[in-house]
Amino acid sequence: MFCAVSTMTDGDYDYLIKLLALGDSGVGKTTFLYRYTDNKFNPKFITTVGIDFREKRVVYTATNSNGTTGKTFKVHLQLWDTAGQERFRSLTTAFFRDAMGFLLMFDLTSQQSFLNVRNWMSQLQANAYCENPDIVLVGNKADLADQREVQEKQAKELADKYGIPYFETSAATGSEVDKAVITLLDLVMKRMEQCVDKPAQEAPNGEGTSKLEAAPPNEKKCAC
Amino acid sequence: MDLSVLEVLEREKVLEVLQRDKILRSLEEERIRKMKLELQEIRRKGAKSFSRQYSERTCARCQRPLGKFWNCGAVCHGCSHRICNKCRINVTAQEWKCTVCHAYREVKIKSGEWFLEERAKKFSADADRHETTGEKLLKSYQRLSTISIVPPTPPPFTEGPSSGRSGGLHSSRPFTKSMENLFVSLTTHIKKISKSQDDVTADPGLLTADYGGIPSKERRSQSDTAINRPFSMTKAPSLPDLFKRAKSDNEEVQRMAEFCTDEDISPGADYHQEKRGSISSVCTELGIFDHNSSVTGEIELALVYNSTASCLEITVNGCKNLAYGDEKRKKCHPYVKIYLLPDKSPHRKLKTTVKKNTTDPVFNETLRYNIELPLLASRTLQASVWHSATLRKKVFLGEVLIPLHEWKFKDNSTQSPTWYLLCPKPGITEGYPGEQYNGTLLIKAKFTPPSQLSTVANPQREEVCMGQLSILVTGVTNLTVSKYSGTLNSFVKGCLSLPGGRELTQRTLPQRRKSNSQWNHQLVFSEVPEANLPGCCLDLELWDHASFSLAHRSLGGAKLEGASSWQQLLQTPNTWYDFTLPMQASASMKKT
Repeated sequence: MFCAVSTMTDGDYDYLIKLLALGDSGVGKTTFLYRYTDNKFNPKFITTVGIDFREKRVVYTATNSNGTTGKTFKVHLQLWDTAGQERFRSLTTAFFRDAMGFLLMFDLTSQQSFLNVRNWMSQLQANAYCENPDIVLVGNKADLADQREVQEKQAKELADKYGIPYFETSAATGSEVDKAVITLLDLVMKRMEQCVDKPAQEAPNGEGTSKLEAAPPNEKKCAC
Repeated sequence: MDLSVLEVLEREKVLEVLQRDKILRSLEEERIRKMKLELQEIRRKGAKSFSRQYSERTCARCQRPLGKFWNCGAVCHGCSHRICNKCRINVTAQEWKCTVCHAYREVKIKSGEWFLEERAKKFSADADRHETTGEKLLKSYQRLSTISIVPPTPPPFTEGPSSGRSGGLHSSRPFTKSMENLFVSLTTHIKKISKSQDDVTADPGLLTADYGGIPSKERRSQSDTAINRPFSMTKAPSLPDLFKRAKSDNEEVQRMAEFCTDEDISPGADYHQEKRGSISSVCTELGIFDHNSSVTGEIELALVYNSTASCLEITVNGCKNLAYGDEKRKKCHPYVKIYLLPDKSPHRKLKTTVKKNTTDPVFNETLRYNIELPLLASRTLQASVWHSATLRKKVFLGEVLIPLHEWKFKDNSTQSPTWYLLCPKPGITEGYPGEQYNGTLLIKAKFTPPSQLSTVANPQREEVCMGQLSILVTGVTNLTVSKYSGTLNSFVKGCLSLPGGRELTQRTLPQRRKSNSQWNHQLVFSEVPEANLPGCCLDLELWDHASFSLAHRSLGGAKLEGASSWQQLLQTPNTWYDFTLPMQASASMKKT
């Protein structure tokens, strides 16, 4: 569905999609994004100062409702990386409002980072562009099986509760990294269409109740 | 590592990221601008045909005839026009849109407009809808940096030998101190535009509580702001306070708005007001207005030709997602102005009322333009949206141009309201026929030097050798703007700028003449220092005096300058010299 394109400095793309990674300090947001954009792994922990971003151009192939592939588009991804440290909090949350989709990450080897997902969710609800933005829950460091503290079932349940997809990734091996980003991008692309095509007299959001009601049954993604 | 040093590095790191973001942003802005221009072009090409017979059913986009039983076309849900099979683009398996509606939808998605709209629902009264956090931070930093960065002062060399380490620390203190302040101000600024985690956990009660009794959407959004942005005001005002504040703002704006719009249509108003109005209006026409950084949003219009009254009825329903006219104060008092280009004469201008404090104004006003139906084919409807704030400066918020030469006025399907995406002003090069004020101004000039008696040879005093410059405007050729009325009631304003900033202004009385006949507008500037004449610049502006509406329209201006021109006059004084001056739209509009 997606493949990378090289040139980055011209305006020859169809969409600029801004995604943002958030989560506790040390869960691996920076390495995750580094793996995604450059397909490399840096095991050294360098704490992110405030904010940063990485870019990648991908080709997106739209899927029609009957499952056939449609047109292809060039997408310029701006992937915002945020500092997980508390002291940068006011800076990082200020950037939430400009992102169209979110990679909410925790560390599979840290129960605490998983418990904090709930806090990050409320941060998102308050600061993101709408009450129910597109989010993908990412449990990182799946390669460290012996140190695992969070079970897949546990995480899956939480993701289902929020109605968002869940992925267990490893920036070290690259497993599921692309899939997590692509899923999020797909959600955002679908959201764009929905936002434009829905009738104008639709009730304005803000009540935050629409998420579960609007989502058709048996569909995991968060619809608007 | 010293913490303060670390923060300096941190700040620089963040700024470097923001600079990179800025590069991407400008790339994106350029892309969006191009996209909107392309859309305008598609819309122009796919306009409804007027020239064809109503009985002949044709596709609104390609103008191909439609059959009665097969290939009979279908009505597009976007624009309500009948469209043939070929001019449809499938959005989903079941749904389709016509080429124009589809292009419009694409732009909305690809430009990220959808995102801004969605966000505006949540943070409606929030800061500028376009400005990203990164942009804001970068700006605030740049503002700060001009004030607070002082070069580090080298330490005085009087102290005795101290350890290298402490000495270094001492020397860097003033520097790091100011940097530290910078970072503090930066972070406090950030706090203003975000919230800490604590606020979020404290807020839920409020979030659910206050929605109930508040009726209108606008007010609701204000309360949203009050709740969502506790940091933006040091003391969060109570809701009644907010209403009061909004109300007094409204009243003030209303007074201003009433004073400065409705300009040249109300005949009973007093002259000064009219004059001011007409000038501000002329200014907007000639490009003397504030350009908004970005044009966003849409306007909903419906066009109906009323053949019994012989007029075009333009219904302006409203706009949505307009940019702020006043970005700093986050204010917008929009109104819509309509011309049928190329006629830009002020008495053919139509305007809506001004709506206060909204970027989604609802006008529901029908403006009537008296014109015979066949004449419409040569016209282009220009609907521009303006922000009316101060007496003179109007802010351009966007416009839409609808060529009428192919418009099917008799077709019912063209009469329903349609949303049009607002576009920036086209570049200066691509003007519309009537907008170019070309023509040539014919003038005579002579200089009368001071008589021998008055020339007191006194090098100590400055006001020596005062002469008199006479200008006679004898006519104008190729004045395109006059083609709507062969007779002009013209007058001339002249402004002689002397070296050193002194300006002499003169104005003639209106003369009712045929535009191509001989005129006799004389301007006399006395007390012109002979020595300074070569450095002078004479601005002449030709006006058409409208006797009833009191709204004069500018026909263009011309300049006489350059030492060689003046030298001729000086060499043979008391002799008339002929000059032909090319006219421009606004050679130098003086707001006098």
